[in-house]
Amino acid sequence: MASGIKDKAVILGMGCTEFGERWDMSSDDLMVEAFTEALADAGIEKDRIGAAWLGSALDDVNVGNSAIPLATALRLQGIPVTRVENMCATGTEALRGAVYAVASGAVDIALALGVEKLKDSGFGGLPIRTKGSVNDLWMPYGSAPGTFAQLAGAYRAKHGVSAEDLKRGMAHVSWKSHQNGALSPKAHLRKAVDMDTILNAPLIADPLGLFDCCGVSDGAACAIITTPEIARSLGRARDETVAVKALQVCTSHGWESQYGAWDGSYVPGTRTAAAKAYAEAGIADPRADIHMTEVHDCFSVTELVTMEDLGLSDAGRGAFDYLDGRYDRDGAIPAQVDGGLKCFGHPVGASGLRMAYEVHSQLLGRAGQRQLRNVDAGLTHNLGGQPSNAVAAVSIFGRL
Amino acid sequence: MAETSLKSAAGYLPMLRFDRKVARKELRWSGLGGSGRGLRAVAGWDEDPVTMSVEAARGVLGGDAPDAVVFASTSAPFTDRSQAGIVVDALHLPSGVMTQDVANTRRAAVTALLRALRGGGTDLIAAGEKRAAAPGTGPHLNWGDGAGAALTGPGPGVARLLGAASLHADLLDVNTTAERGTPYGAEDRFVRDEAVAQVYTPAIRAALADAGLDGAAIALAVVPEPVAGTYRALARGCGLKAANLCEEIAAQAGDLGAAMPLFGLALALDRARFGDKILLAGFGNGADVLVLEVTGAGNGSAAQALTQGAILDSYTRFLNLTGTLGLDWGPRAEVNQKVSASTLLRHGRDMHGFVGGRDRGGNVQFPKTPIPVRPDATGPEEYDDVVLRDVPGTVASITADRLNFTPDPPFHFGLVQFENGARVVMEHCDVEGPAPEVGAPVRMRFRIKAIDRQRRFRSYFWKAAPIARPELTQEA
Repeated sequence: MASGIKDKAVILGMGCTEFGERWDMSSDDLMVEAFTEALADAGIEKDRIGAAWLGSALDDVNVGNSAIPLATALRLQGIPVTRVENMCATGTEALRGAVYAVASGAVDIALALGVEKLKDSGFGGLPIRTKGSVNDLWMPYGSAPGTFAQLAGAYRAKHGVSAEDLKRGMAHVSWKSHQNGALSPKAHLRKAVDMDTILNAPLIADPLGLFDCCGVSDGAACAIITTPEIARSLGRARDETVAVKALQVCTSHGWESQYGAWDGSYVPGTRTAAAKAYAEAGIADPRADIHMTEVHDCFSVTELVTMEDLGLSDAGRGAFDYLDGRYDRDGAIPAQVDGGLKCFGHPVGASGLRMAYEVHSQLLGRAGQRQLRNVDAGLTHNLGGQPSNAVAAVSIFGRL
Repeated sequence: MAETSLKSAAGYLPMLRFDRKVARKELRWSGLGGSGRGLRAVAGWDEDPVTMSVEAARGVLGGDAPDAVVFASTSAPFTDRSQAGIVVDALHLPSGVMTQDVANTRRAAVTALLRALRGGGTDLIAAGEKRAAAPGTGPHLNWGDGAGAALTGPGPGVARLLGAASLHADLLDVNTTAERGTPYGAEDRFVRDEAVAQVYTPAIRAALADAGLDGAAIALAVVPEPVAGTYRALARGCGLKAANLCEEIAAQAGDLGAAMPLFGLALALDRARFGDKILLAGFGNGADVLVLEVTGAGNGSAAQALTQGAILDSYTRFLNLTGTLGLDWGPRAEVNQKVSASTLLRHGRDMHGFVGGRDRGGNVQFPKTPIPVRPDATGPEEYDDVVLRDVPGTVASITADRLNFTPDPPFHFGLVQFENGARVVMEHCDVEGPAPEVGAPVRMRFRIKAIDRQRRFRSYFWKAAPIARPELTQEA
């Protein structure tokens, strides 16, 4: 039986660019900015890196295919560099590649870097992508908010939550994140927004309004991974080291969208990935043992449903838990403490690593105005695709 | 050999009816707003003569597959592609069915019907029309979009042919050239007078004589009018006393072109009694006239189509839907929607026919995949074809998407749960007002899936629509 990766890999250093409309920065510039910070944080020379993973999702407006753009931008010489893409879970996939490489003993030090340059698309929102020549014959071209918005109707139908209560709960999700984003110097949107503005914003995809949707940004984030032993040998004290406790990905095999048993109100992959991650990390009671989360808040309803899928809220209670402040920065389990996708935007390849960056910062006490007390474990969650066809990733980080 | 009879006829109209008063008001400054009376059926952005023909044809298909399928239109989207073949695939008929496309005159469908009734085969004739016309012209407001279908076959049916006549006359009431693309009309008074004198009167008299009847024996007339008042002008001379159903259709939906006679025939059958005689005419550079005796009941599709729908009261939306308002939808509309010919050949019949599969475990899925979605499937399996177009379904999830490009926002889509277990993510159509709730029943409609605007190509698939249309409340 697999022993998992708990405590077999640690984060030696992390970097994260400012996210936003980086009109003056190319993808190469963003990669170098994130990497430079991570390398300095790790305190090593570049040539110690034995392998690298690049996460980028939208090659038509980013760096193109293959991992060569990363190897070229950072001038990584003579090592294997791999590009991964798994839709919005791409950043976490890059991290998983590096963590698995280190945990397996294949390399001593590995790099994971995610980057996306969405603002070169020429318009707001994500570029519309075809789904392959066969699927394009029948599959609708829905937008990202359109696919996630459908959680809302199914959720209401299942749990009997009124449209008004759900809308208010969703609004609180966004309100909370904007409160947090105002304290995040690297966030794209750093302005608090009041509830009335959120509730009365124009509809994007019923019932999601403008403020129920995350921003669209450029950005990059980077992690340098090694073993606990090498970290110690490099002089890293135990309390200065963040360990990877679990890293699980669950990819839909089409059951939700083709088989009739799913009710559309939740994301099965998140539940599966979470259960596996809790087991891998040895967490029996996530409500007690997870002290903060950075979840995939591409849309407010996604975050709300995710809290139930992670087992942090009871089924059908997510909206009310939000309204009660459970996930506020001073709540029981703060979520999106840096402002989340809502305020950072969602440069697809970078987001999973940006989430890890915040948990890393909180665990090391580096989060400045946002710093939480008593954080020993944090969870990140990425969701690629759409609820009916998702790639769900759950990672848990903590102290050694 | 049994006499060939008409087995069934059906009519289809799109959901929207443009209120001509709106155009009269909007164009008052120009004097080009027309009479302002009545309604005009307006196809959705994703409807064309092919899709509407399929919808009409669904209303006439019964047991065995026809021997031949004829598609008739003067506004067919393809000039070198068998659209009768698309109809065959959409109806999941055998590939061996003979297909024929007829075009270039509004009476093409009636000619095809007459040949079928004389020929002895089981023929499906489907006519659809979505004709382009320039704003400010009579046709833009007076023509309508719609379809009709008829099925013939040996043995008793709903009507039998008593007599017929055909006549050619190169009367250019309107003509449309490939270069111009929109109709050019002659003076109304000339058209009316000569249509009566040189086309209809001799053709109708000949058909009546062939049937051994006089005009007074006709209970229901389906006589398309090139100009309003034509029928009244010819009725006296032909001894006709019956009301002309085409006047009613023109007022409530518009002149349906090549689809008008078959739609009118379906409406006549909906209203007829056994033994009634129907005068059915196709007009266009001459005429084909049939005299039929009613031997069965209509299926109600045309009568229902006339009374159900939703009023369109936006002139700019009307212009957009008729392709006469060049809105720039911005970069979001730039998605490449090229269809691969090899992919279409490989998968087109399943896509156009909405053919899923029942796997060895009994689960139904769409599309078929090498390894079934059934959780306990362990490897590739063979499937039995399952056509989903008539299987009841309900909304499992839905949204009204206002972000992605669609020619007529918003874009409704979501999961549809079919009664037989299949589940498919689908676009919705015919949604006016709030999106259907989760659990709402839906029916399938054959529609344009996407238009490749770079190559002027279109692909077809099925979409979910509300199970019933609202009753039209505005008087025509």
